[in-house]
Amino acid sequence: MATEGLAPPVSVVRSRSAWLEGLAGQLLALLVSLGIALLAGSLLIVAYGESPITVYSSILKYSVESADGIGYVLAIATPLIFSALAVAVCFKGGMFNIGVEGQYLVAMVTAAWAEAELGFLPGPILVVVVLIAAMLGGMIWAAIPGVLKVKTGAHEVVTTIMLNGIAISLLAWAINFPLKFSNAPPGQNVDLRTDQFPEGGLIGDIGHYFGVTPSAHLSWLFLLAVGAAIVVWFLIRRTRLGYEARAVGSSPGSAKAGGVSIGSIQLRLFLISGALAGLVGMQQILADRGYLPQNYVAFLGFTGIAVAFLGQNNPIGIIFAAILWGILSRGEVALQIESEVPREFIIILQGILIMSVVITYQIAKRRLAARQLQRAGAAGELEDSAGSDEDSGPQGPEITGREAFEGAGEGGV
Amino acid sequence: MPFTDIAVALQISFTYFTIFYLTGLGGLFSERSGIVNIGLEGLMIIGTVTGAFGARFFTDTMDLGLPWGPILGLLFGALCGTIYAGVHAVATITFRVDHIVSGVVINLVAIGLARFLSSAFFNGQSTQSDPGGPHLSRLDIPLLSSLPGGLSRAFESLSPMVIVAALMVFPVWYVLNRLRWGLRLRSCGENPEATRSLGVSVPLYRYQGVLLSGAFAGLSGAFLASEVIGNWREGQTLGLGFISLAALILSNWNPIRLMFFAWLFGFAQAIPLRLNDAPVISALPPQFIRMIPFIVTIVAIAGFVGRVRPPAAAGKAYEGGGGT
Repeated sequence: MATEGLAPPVSVVRSRSAWLEGLAGQLLALLVSLGIALLAGSLLIVAYGESPITVYSSILKYSVESADGIGYVLAIATPLIFSALAVAVCFKGGMFNIGVEGQYLVAMVTAAWAEAELGFLPGPILVVVVLIAAMLGGMIWAAIPGVLKVKTGAHEVVTTIMLNGIAISLLAWAINFPLKFSNAPPGQNVDLRTDQFPEGGLIGDIGHYFGVTPSAHLSWLFLLAVGAAIVVWFLIRRTRLGYEARAVGSSPGSAKAGGVSIGSIQLRLFLISGALAGLVGMQQILADRGYLPQNYVAFLGFTGIAVAFLGQNNPIGIIFAAILWGILSRGEVALQIESEVPREFIIILQGILIMSVVITYQIAKRRLAARQLQRAGAAGELEDSAGSDEDSGPQGPEITGREAFEGAGEGGV
Repeated sequence: MPFTDIAVALQISFTYFTIFYLTGLGGLFSERSGIVNIGLEGLMIIGTVTGAFGARFFTDTMDLGLPWGPILGLLFGALCGTIYAGVHAVATITFRVDHIVSGVVINLVAIGLARFLSSAFFNGQSTQSDPGGPHLSRLDIPLLSSLPGGLSRAFESLSPMVIVAALMVFPVWYVLNRLRWGLRLRSCGENPEATRSLGVSVPLYRYQGVLLSGAFAGLSGAFLASEVIGNWREGQTLGLGFISLAALILSNWNPIRLMFFAWLFGFAQAIPLRLNDAPVISALPPQFIRMIPFIVTIVAIAGFVGRVRPPAAAGKAYEGGGGT
């Protein structure tokens, strides 16, 4: 169920043309949805009495036309890449990790704890240790739904929703008790928060190499995020685990028959997902703030799900999707300065975009499957290509069944 | 520990009960029809902002006064929740988007949409409205509010909506178990193919189920903003929609049991607010108490205690395709 509407039907063996066709379909669907979102956005802008072209170009002006703008966009994209990758890893195995939200909250707590306890370590080592602590925190929180799913069959969607709720309280507790600040700078309006982290435990800025303002907080984490995307791509496409994960995701029955241990694959995917989720909050606490604030609610986990759809669960696609999301988010600043349209317009735009992406991908996927089915039917015995057989085989009867059922369904009552 | 504290905690728990029960009933109609709805939180958010606006608009701007202003405000919140749920319905039923995906998007977009609506409704204030909005006059429950020993506090000055929510169990149970409409709705959630073979339009019933979920969750949100808090504030629903979902799961999608779990989780919410110096509880940080509903649900869903069984076809695409 979870993979429906997300990934194209991943068949493990795939012919090249089907792959290309799939890619073209995805791109087309993406462009159509972007068009829909921009069009709907234009209507809103006109309702506010402004020109859509002026507003859209001011969004671009603040996001991609200057080094600073690009720096801000990439800094916004950094946590979203981690978050979307975490979601995508589970999707590949047919699971839906909507617990990234909770996993990164817990990871921020473990990272802050490492900063507090191990602050004596020299700079670079401390950073590495803190990042590992964050990944472990995320992994622990992701292991719970993973183990419960494998051992008891508890659906990961329900358990992760509940664990998100627990994580919010856990973070509040940590900041109220064990990690509560003791050395707040004098004269500052202090909310509940942790102590300032040691200078050596923060992640260095890379923006200044490219003439980006330090207030963008573009850090090494962005490069780490891109690196993580490449690692995930390699893992999914080039390793045994990735192969088996895709098998489990596309057809658990055949994977099992093929000797894959589904439980162990699912648990490992959850752990990897949790480790990636653990890095989501690091941009905020290690590159931006330098401490862990109270009531940290930024919905980076849920936004990551949106970015994962946008990037079609492809690790490389996710990088671009996160940047696109960042460009739009940066538009809030542009609107505030250059327009009377309220900045919340951007969130509406992102909402329309993601809803149309989800729907158009779903339509594109069904069209594509129907077409491949048709072709496989026409080719019949002439073509003994394993690729098209693999693609259409499991879906064939289902699709015809669907269409027949749907057609008849409309006449009912 | 004096009785009054327990009584006040009970009174608070009734308020939370109302929120959880109304939202839970929303989820119940949707999931009983076969559409998983984790967008309850988002539907509630829309209910809060539109409900707070509606209460003010109808009471002051339209000058309807009490009680019609607040009542129409609540209904306006329910209506907007219904409209917003329409997005979930179109995505999942017409376009057969995965229910969880659509629910996540519903929640995500609601946050932005609420800010957008708020800045349009409340003079550019995007994260809250002015406090002290109009609400229904509070009432004391006859007989119970004259209990001795401070216990009366539990039944005094409650919003009439608390009673409305509690009484809702009768029509909901009747509709689901005795009316043809309810039986058909449930069969759409259990076995859509068989239902269709009887000439019942599955999408039609599912649309109604999802739209009803928006109405109930929107009403619940409107109640929270206008009756409980008195204004809309960003994040005021935080997690309440998910607790409602937890109560719904534990109730086994049954409106009568849902009453119990909605109240139980309501009481759990009230503990850190009122009973924080009671024996055992004072030793626990309040944040741990807040985790209770979620932990209980995980334990139950994992099958350690009892058994939960969702509607058989819930979450599956209409034709039963796909599978985790």
